[in-house]
Amino acid sequence: MSTQTQAPAGSGRPEAVTTTPAIEISGLTKTYGGADTPSVDNVSLSVPAGTVFGFLGPNGAGKTTTIKILSGLLAASSGKTLLNGYDVTRQRAAAMQQFGAVLEGSRNVYWTLSAWQNLLYFGRLKGMTAAHAAARAEELLKGLDLWERREESVGGYSRGMQQKVAVAAALIADPPIVLLDEPTIGLDVEATRTVMEWIRTLSRERGKTVLLTTHQMNVVEELCDRVAVIRKGKVIADMSTDQLLSQFRERDAYEVRIEGDLPELSLPPNFTARRVDDTTIVSGRVSDPQEVYTLVDRLRDQRAVVQSLAQVQPDLEDVFMGLIKGPAHD
Amino acid sequence: MTSTASPAVVRPVQPVRTDWKLTPLSALRILRAEVRKGLLSQLAHPMGHIIMLVISTVLYLGMQYVMGQGTLRRELIPQTLVAISGYWFLHYGSLVMVADLVEEKRGGTYAQSQMSPAPPWVFMLGRLVTASLAGLAVAVVATLVPMLVTGVTIPLNAAALVPYALVVVNVLAFTFVLAAVAVSSPMVGALHSLFTSLVILLNGSMMPLALYPDWLAVVARFLPTTLGVEATTKVLFDGKSLGDIWSEGTLPWLLAYTLALVLFGGWLFSRNHRRAVRDGRLGQY
Repeated sequence: MSTQTQAPAGSGRPEAVTTTPAIEISGLTKTYGGADTPSVDNVSLSVPAGTVFGFLGPNGAGKTTTIKILSGLLAASSGKTLLNGYDVTRQRAAAMQQFGAVLEGSRNVYWTLSAWQNLLYFGRLKGMTAAHAAARAEELLKGLDLWERREESVGGYSRGMQQKVAVAAALIADPPIVLLDEPTIGLDVEATRTVMEWIRTLSRERGKTVLLTTHQMNVVEELCDRVAVIRKGKVIADMSTDQLLSQFRERDAYEVRIEGDLPELSLPPNFTARRVDDTTIVSGRVSDPQEVYTLVDRLRDQRAVVQSLAQVQPDLEDVFMGLIKGPAHD
Repeated sequence: MTSTASPAVVRPVQPVRTDWKLTPLSALRILRAEVRKGLLSQLAHPMGHIIMLVISTVLYLGMQYVMGQGTLRRELIPQTLVAISGYWFLHYGSLVMVADLVEEKRGGTYAQSQMSPAPPWVFMLGRLVTASLAGLAVAVVATLVPMLVTGVTIPLNAAALVPYALVVVNVLAFTFVLAAVAVSSPMVGALHSLFTSLVILLNGSMMPLALYPDWLAVVARFLPTTLGVEATTKVLFDGKSLGDIWSEGTLPWLLAYTLALVLFGGWLFSRNHRRAVRDGRLGQY
């Protein structure tokens, strides 16, 4: 099974082009016993190799269920999941060699063992020879700044260091795909930054495919080439991060700042005004930008001193909230 | 505000490894890693094992002292020592197996170990070996210390190794049964307590099975280790040969019981693992 990736010519965030998607999910459905509705409902996703793919959704949306199915820890009710072309159910041994995973709410590694012992153990579990696992463990521990403390038991590490060991254990066999379920949850700013740098390095320099779930939208905006949003088990958006943001820019918000009080005039629908110190900020969404210019003209007619007019870009959190609060896409 | 990731420099991925195949050698390598990990984990907290070693010797001697109404009845010690060795092997081996499994399921490392190309039973066998070594250590100490304290010895007879080997298989199979329960239920601790209490009461650790009422002896034979202990003591102390215990039915029953327990353990693990994968309880309860 061969996978080739390349960056297409052109500017901006490139899309990886690949002959075989690193992760391919088609018609995936999972209904737990006793449940009336599926936790994952006919989900189809294709993740090109070499991309960082953000898989987002509110709690209980189906993210972890999907990751567990990809990891072979949970059987799907129907549908197909392929890792580098290998069917997780039917070609389990080959599929298990395609990925490493850090699961949410889980220790992932043995706290009674040292970082070194953990990495050797997980390396052997993935089918590596002892010598190969040792060489790789050394490389990872040095890269993660844990080499000097490799013989200490992981239980004595800080939360950030423990998460680093979990990431290292997922990478021990140098898998082409890395599944990270909330990898930065509970980490302090510095540890979050370290993990994010690693994810960036994995994708940009090592060509790994990273599927990432997180509630931290800054992490997604900074790292993810592509984003899928899942709600109530259904994928309601699946596009590049830039596309997602630009799609929502079509409904852009505007902000007009004027000096002092707002003059007596009726604001357009969807607009509100609030006073901040000596300034009044009038903001709202418009379907046609001309409406904003009309508003500015009306303000000037009332002798208001317009300080600025700006287009407010939505960030990913706005987009995410808009998507998950929107009507269900049944 | 929006900040976008820097343009990716996507490099070719590493050659995809798909070379792992289940062979005796590959399974043995993973089993060895599992045993090594298990032993390292056990040795990280030695105090629990040391306390258990002390308890195992004190409990037996105290029990015999009470049963002898204030004296140690030396004629009963060799037979009951055979039984108590089986009990401690069962009790501690299965305790280590089950406690580790429950803890790992709750901690998440059990789920991690399942993301391997090797089938799940390889890991369970590795765990079984580790737990057996812990159980064996306690069983050996629990047998040797009372022998040293009382000066009583157990006569050596190579023929007795056959039924005692079946005691060992009995114990391993029963431990596997409990482990299979632990895959799907954290309440396995109650089951462990129930069965091991019955075993110490009825497998001949307090007094030889021959001294029990007939109906109770019949019930006792349905518990792990009892049939094996009975067959072993017949060879060691009653001068019976393997042919004798075969023809009188003890050995065939022991073989049948052991085989049934092994098959039941394998079936239960397979069933519970499949259900855990279906219900999403592989990494949690």
